[in-house]
Amino acid sequence: MSAVAAHADVEAHVAEADYQERTRRNRLGLWLFFVSELFMFGGLLVARFYLWRENGEIVRPELDQNLGLIITSILLLSSYFMNRAEVAIAHNDRTNFLVSLLITAALGTVFLVGVVVFEWGAHLRPWDGVFGAVLFGMTGMHALHVLSGIILILNVWWLGTKGHFSAEEHWGVEACAIYWHYVDLIWIFFYPALYLIGRAVPA
Amino acid sequence: MRGHYRTGILVLIALAVLTGIEYVIAVSFPSTALLFLVAIMKAALVLYYFMHVTSLWSEEGGH
Repeated sequence: MSAVAAHADVEAHVAEADYQERTRRNRLGLWLFFVSELFMFGGLLVARFYLWRENGEIVRPELDQNLGLIITSILLLSSYFMNRAEVAIAHNDRTNFLVSLLITAALGTVFLVGVVVFEWGAHLRPWDGVFGAVLFGMTGMHALHVLSGIILILNVWWLGTKGHFSAEEHWGVEACAIYWHYVDLIWIFFYPALYLIGRAVPA
Repeated sequence: MRGHYRTGILVLIALAVLTGIEYVIAVSFPSTALLFLVAIMKAALVLYYFMHVTSLWSEEGGH
């Protein structure tokens, strides 16, 4: 091996090690951001169990159970397609990667429509006492994260169509995927808290 | 690669089944503790398989 080739090889190794180190730090930063967000979502969850009570008994407003189940299933399905996009780019399957991202964004949009149009369009309003305030606070803050997640996914998709990301370097896709799964994770706790736990009472 | 896709499908099925169980618990024998237990199981699946939480303390930096 010539000295020039050996030098190029060393440089490639250094660049890869540098990328791995940066990815490790980025990942830690992202998770620290999630921890900070947990305080907000945790606060909302605590508020729900503190305020939605009648004579010490946990209650909840009568919400559309079918709608709750459908939008929850849609969000879970979107998480699968987000994972599929990540696996696809890790194996340089660009077509599957781009299609899976679009499906994820579409499912996220359907979830958003389910919450904003159908749930918010039902009988409860934000000013309807603790039921309205907590319901809109929880679903509103979550919907905002879903919306930002959709924008992020479409941004990653756009970059993907321009040839960005590869099997070796796709931290951007991983970060987007983890963020989307985090949004799903929050809903895993919000769904039973809003729709299932406690005695249903007329709002 | 097919194996990786299969893992995703299996996790999705598990999450769907647990969501169904959650719904059945809520309508037949409502229990806050049980519902939270199922939610924690679902969260663990998402954290482990989808969010790769273990990569935080793995030596390899990954992508």
